[in-house]
Amino acid sequence: MTRYLVTRAVHSCLLFVAVSALLFLFTELVPGDFLEELRLSPAISASALNTLRERYGLDAPLTVRYWRWIQSVVRGEFGFSLLYERPVGPLLRERAANTLLLTVTATVVAWCLAVPIGAWSAGRRGRLTDRATGVVVTALLALPDLLLALGLLLIAVRVGGLPVGGMTSPQYSTFGALHKAEDVLVHLLLPACALCLAILPTLVRHVRATLVETLDAPFIQAAKAIGVGDRRLIYRHALRAAANPLTSLLGLSVASLLSASMTIEAVMSWPGLGPLLLTAIQARDIHLIVGVALASTCFLLAGNLLADGLLYLADPRARTESR
Amino acid sequence: MSRSSRGRFAVVLLAAVYASAVLAGFLAPYDPVEQNRLLAFAPPTRLHLVDDSGRLHLRPFVYALVPRPGTFDVYDEDRSRPYPIRLFPNGASYRLAALIPGDRHLFGVDEPARLFLMGSDEYGRDLFSRLIHGTQISPVAGLLAACLAVSVGLVIGGVAGFYGSVTDQVLMRVAELVMAVPWLYLLLALRAALPLALEPIHAFLLVVVVIGVVGWARPARLVRSVVLSARTRDYVLAARSFGASDARVLRRHVLPEALGVALTQLALLVPQCILAEVTLSFFGLGVGEPLPSWGNMLAGVQRFHVLASYWWMFLPGLALVPLFLIYYAVTDVLHRRLVLRSP
Amino acid sequence: MRENRPVTARGYPLPVAVALLLGTLAFAWAADGGHARAAQAEEFLVATHEVGRHGGQLVVTQRSEPRTLNPVIVADVPSREVINLTTGDLIHVNRETQRPEPALARSWTVSPDGRRTTLTLRRGIRFSDGDPFDADDVVFSFEVYQDPKIDSPQRELLSVGGRPIAVRKIDQYTVQFDLAEPRAVGERLFDTVAMLPKHRLEPVFREGRLAEAWRLGTAPSDIAGLGPFRFQQYVPGQRLALERNPHYWKTDRAGGRLPYLDRVTFVTATSEDAQVLRFQAGEADVLARVGAENFAALERDQASRGYALKDLGPGLEYSMLFFNLNDLTEAQSAIAAKQRWFGLTAFRQAVSAAIDRDSIVRLVYRGRATPLAGHVTPGNRLWTNGQLRAPARSTARAKELLRQAGVRTSAGGQWVDAQGQPLEFSILVNASNPVLNAMATIIQSDLSQIGLRVRIVPFEFRAMLDRILNTHEYEAALLSLGGGDGDPTSEMNVWLSSGPQHLWHLGQKSPATPWESEIDRLMRAQATMLDPSARKRAYDRVQQIVADDLPFIFLVSPNVLVGSRRDLGNFRPAVLEPQVLWNADELFWRRPSPGPSR
Repeated sequence: MTRYLVTRAVHSCLLFVAVSALLFLFTELVPGDFLEELRLSPAISASALNTLRERYGLDAPLTVRYWRWIQSVVRGEFGFSLLYERPVGPLLRERAANTLLLTVTATVVAWCLAVPIGAWSAGRRGRLTDRATGVVVTALLALPDLLLALGLLLIAVRVGGLPVGGMTSPQYSTFGALHKAEDVLVHLLLPACALCLAILPTLVRHVRATLVETLDAPFIQAAKAIGVGDRRLIYRHALRAAANPLTSLLGLSVASLLSASMTIEAVMSWPGLGPLLLTAIQARDIHLIVGVALASTCFLLAGNLLADGLLYLADPRARTESR
Repeated sequence: MSRSSRGRFAVVLLAAVYASAVLAGFLAPYDPVEQNRLLAFAPPTRLHLVDDSGRLHLRPFVYALVPRPGTFDVYDEDRSRPYPIRLFPNGASYRLAALIPGDRHLFGVDEPARLFLMGSDEYGRDLFSRLIHGTQISPVAGLLAACLAVSVGLVIGGVAGFYGSVTDQVLMRVAELVMAVPWLYLLLALRAALPLALEPIHAFLLVVVVIGVVGWARPARLVRSVVLSARTRDYVLAARSFGASDARVLRRHVLPEALGVALTQLALLVPQCILAEVTLSFFGLGVGEPLPSWGNMLAGVQRFHVLASYWWMFLPGLALVPLFLIYYAVTDVLHRRLVLRSP
Repeated sequence: MRENRPVTARGYPLPVAVALLLGTLAFAWAADGGHARAAQAEEFLVATHEVGRHGGQLVVTQRSEPRTLNPVIVADVPSREVINLTTGDLIHVNRETQRPEPALARSWTVSPDGRRTTLTLRRGIRFSDGDPFDADDVVFSFEVYQDPKIDSPQRELLSVGGRPIAVRKIDQYTVQFDLAEPRAVGERLFDTVAMLPKHRLEPVFREGRLAEAWRLGTAPSDIAGLGPFRFQQYVPGQRLALERNPHYWKTDRAGGRLPYLDRVTFVTATSEDAQVLRFQAGEADVLARVGAENFAALERDQASRGYALKDLGPGLEYSMLFFNLNDLTEAQSAIAAKQRWFGLTAFRQAVSAAIDRDSIVRLVYRGRATPLAGHVTPGNRLWTNGQLRAPARSTARAKELLRQAGVRTSAGGQWVDAQGQPLEFSILVNASNPVLNAMATIIQSDLSQIGLRVRIVPFEFRAMLDRILNTHEYEAALLSLGGGDGDPTSEMNVWLSSGPQHLWHLGQKSPATPWESEIDRLMRAQATMLDPSARKRAYDRVQQIVADDLPFIFLVSPNVLVGSRRDLGNFRPAVLEPQVLWNADELFWRRPSPGPSR
C-alpha cells in the first residue's frame, strides 16, 4: 500500500514538472507576450518598454525563465504574476477557495439530489414518471450551462433583489463576521444553482443507467422474488453493485472540481480559477497560467486517487492483481 | 410508443437533421448572410389569420415591418397590406451540397415583407435561416470531435484496463498529463502557426480535430475502470481457459461493456464540443463571420444588452435542446443494439 | 518732560521695548526656520463650481485591478486612474475646456523664445502626510522622471530635442525650466506629471530602488501625495480605497476645503457587461466607457432606478481599416503580391468610398457615433480640421476608382488585377471585441457589393498585435486608437514615418512615400511652433494629407457615454480622460448616502 502511494507521489511530481515544462515551452510558440498591448499606447516609448521587459525578466532565455520560476516555487511563492503584481501562491489559494466554495456546494447538492432521483427513476423504469423525469433531465442536460447561467442572470436582472455578479458587495470589508458570511451566501445562490443544474443531469443519468443495468441482474431478481422491498433493493444491493462506475464518476467529480464551473464563473463574475485562467491566457502571464494548471492538476490527481481507491475498496473484481 | 419504435423515430429525426444540413438552402427562407440593415433586432414576425377588417384568411399572413422613426429597434406593423405565406417561392440563390444550384425555397413571403420566424440579429439577418445553415457546421464538427475523443478513449482505456499493471499505470499517467494541460493555450499557438490564407472554417475544423484528439482522457478513464472490473468476470476467465487470444477476449467480451460507457460519454461530449466553439470564438479560433454557426450565435447572446432587450436571440440556443435530445435517443438505440443485443 | 516720552505699561521706555520685541522676533525667526515656513498661510486654489456638502463615498468599477501606486513607473490604465486622485501636478489641463490651468503652480511666465518657463508655486501647500511642498520637491520630481536608469514612461514625453529639461530652483517657491528647443505643447507638458515628496522618496531613489517603491501592499502612512485623496486600504482582489486628503489645497467658493467625498473605492468588474450590471444594481456610482448598446439597454430603466446617463458627443477615439504596406520577407510573397493593390491610393480610396459609415453608426452604435474623414475627431475641439467631410458612400465612385487603379472585371464577374489575380483579401480583427467584429462584418458586406471578396479573420488580441507589430503577417486589419490629450504632439509616434505606432508601415529608415515625407516635416515643425494659428494650419494640412492618401481608412468615432447616480452633484464628465473622475474633488452627494448597505 505504501509502496503504491509512494509510486503515485513520484508520478505526481513528475506530472507537475511535465506540465510546467510543457507550458513554458508553449510560450515560445504562442505569439505575443505580456507587454504587447502597451506597444499600442503612444504614451510609452520603445525604450521604456524595453526597460519594463528587462524588469519583468521577459527578455531572458527560456531555460533561465523556467529556472527562475522553479526558484520561486521553492521559496513558496509559486511564481510572480505580472498581471496582478503579486505572488501567484496566495492569489491561487484565494481564487481556488472561491471556486471550491462554489463547486463543493453545487456538487454536494447535486449528488444528494442525483442519487435519490436516479434511484427512484430506475425503480420506476418504463413508467410515465420515469419517462417524464427522463425528458426533464435530458432537456436540462441539453441546455448548455452557458444558457442556463445567462437565463438565471436575466431573471435576476429583471426581478431584482438578487446580486447580479461577484462574490461580495462593495462594502464587504466593513461588515461583521456574520454579515460577511451572509453576504457571500447571497452572492453564492445564483451561481450555485446554475452549476448544480448543470451537473445534475449527467449524474442522474449515470446513476439511473447503472442502476437499471444492475437491477436487471439475476441476483436482484432473486432478491425481489424473495420479497425484498424496493427501497432496500436499490440502496443496499443495487447501489453497491453499481459502485463502479459511480465511484469513477465521484472521482471525476472531484477531479473536475476546479474546472467544471469555468463558464458559470465567467458569466457571473464569480472570482474563481476559471476566469483567472482565461484572463491569464489572454494576458500571457505564464506564471499564473502554470499556477492555475498545477492547482487543477492537484485536484485532478486527488480525484483520480480517490476514484482508484474507492474502486479498489468497493469492487473487489477490479483489483489489479497480475494475471 | 415502444422503446424500439421510439429509437427508430430518433434515428429518423437525426437523419432529418443531417438532411436539413444538406437541404439548408432550400429549407431556409433567406440567405444566412444577407443583411437587412433597416430591420436589425426585429422580433419574430407575427403570423396572422384574421386581418384588420375581421376577415379570416385561409393562408396565414404577415405584415411588413416599418422601423419607428427615432428608434433603432422598435418596429411597427404596416397594416395596409397583408403578405400571405407562399410555398416554394423564388428567393436567394443557393447551392445544395455546394453542387446543385437552386433558388426555390420551401416557404417565404413577397418582398418587401420579411418572415423572420426567430427574429433577426444585429445586422438584420434572419436567425431561423442562420440556424438551419448552422446545421452544416456545428453538429458535424461536434460529432467529429466527440467521436474522435470517444474512439481514442475507448481504445486506450480498454487497453489500459485490460492489461493492467504497468501499461495501465503508464497510460493513465499520460491521460493525467493530457487532462492537466490547458489546451486553449496551445491552440493559440496552433492558430498562429496556420497560414493566413486558411479559411477560418478550415482552421476551425482543425481545432475541432485537436479538441477531439486531446479529449480522449476522460472517456479513457471511465472505460478503463469498467474494463478493469469486466476482465475478471467469470465468462472472461472461461474464455481464456479455452485459449481465446487477448484480442478476441477484448473484442467479444470486454468491449461491449466498455461500449455502454463510451456511448453515454459520446452523448455527453457532442453538446460540449458544439458549445466549446463559444469559448473558441472568443479566442479567435471559431468559425469566422459571416458564416453561421451555433457557437457564434450563442456567443452573441452573452452580452448584457441582448439579455435585457432581445429575448429572441435565445431561441437558437433553445433550439439546440431538441437536437441534443435526439442525440441521446440515438445513443440509447446504439446502446441497446450494440451492448444489450436487443432489438 | 517725562510725560512726553512714550512708555509701555510696565514703564519701559518704548524704544527699548520695540528693540526687545524686534530682537525676540529676529531670534525666533533665525532659530526656527522650519516652523516659520510652516506658519506660512496656505494659498488655496478656489474652485468656481457649485458648492456642495461634505460626506459620502463613491464606488467606481474598473475593468482590471490596479497594479501600482508609483507615479513614476505607472503604465496601465486602472493604476493611472487611482494615481490621478492621489497626486497633483504643477499645471493641469481642465478636461472640460481642454485648456491648461494653474494647479500647484499659481502662475508662470514664458520667455519670448519659448525655451524658458518660470513657475511660481503656491505657498503653504502640504503633502497628504502634512509635510510641506516646495521647489525642492519639484526639482527632485523632475530628476526622477528623467532618470535614465528608471526609464519612466514619462521620460520621453519630457525630453525635448533629445535633451532632458533642465530644472533649476530659483527660490523656495520659484522653479525655472529650460528646454533645448521651444515646445509648442508648452505648459501642457506639465499635465499629470505628478509631484513627488522628496522627503519620502529621495532615500529610496538614491539607493536605486525607486521603481519598486509604493507597491499596492505599501503601508498608507508611507505614501504621500498632493491629490484630493490619499491611499487608505488595499484588499487584493476586492477593493482599493482612498480617503480624503485633509491637506488638499483647493477650496470651494464658500471657503470649505475640498474634496467633498470622504472616500473613493475602486472595485474590479472584469468586463463591460459586469460594470453595467453593477451600475444598474446600484453597486457602483459612476459608469464610464460604456458601449452604445449597453447604453441603450440602460436608458430604458433610467427613471426608475435613479441614475442618469449622458451622451457627450464624439470623443477622441477613432477606428480604422488599414492595409499592410510593410517591407516583407521572401516567405511572405503572397501578401507582397497583394501589396501591389494595397499600395495604390486609388484602391484605398475605392474601399473607403464603398463603406457604408452611416450603417455602422446606426447598427453598431445606435446612432451614437460620428463618421470620420480623418484622425482628429470633432470631439477634439481645439484641433479638428473643420473642412474635412466624411466620404459619403458611393458604389459607383468606388468602382470608378477601382478602374483607375487598373483593375478590371474578369469573365466570371470578379475583379482581377493586371496580372489576372483575383482581388480578395482578409481583414484581421480582435476576436473578443464585438464592436470591431460588427464593423468588419458590415464592411465585408459593403465590399462584396462592389465585387471585392473579403474574409474576416478573427484573432486573439495579442496574437493579432504580434502579427501587426512584429511579423507583419497580415493583409488588412481593423483597429481603434485614440485617447490621450488630443494635442498633435501626443500622436507623433503614429504619424512620424519612423514612429513605433506608424502601423501600416513600421520600421521605415526614411519616408517611403512623398506624402509621408511631407507629414514628417509638418509634424516636426508643429512641435516647435509657438504661434497657435500657424500650428493649427500645419496640423490641418497633416489631416488633409492623411484624409487624401488614406494610410488609415477612417470609419467612425464613438460618442463618449457615461452615467452616474442622479444624486451626484457636480458631475460634469468630459471627453478627455479621465472622463468621469477628472473633477473628483468637486463631486458630492446631494442627499446623504442611501441605505446601510452603502
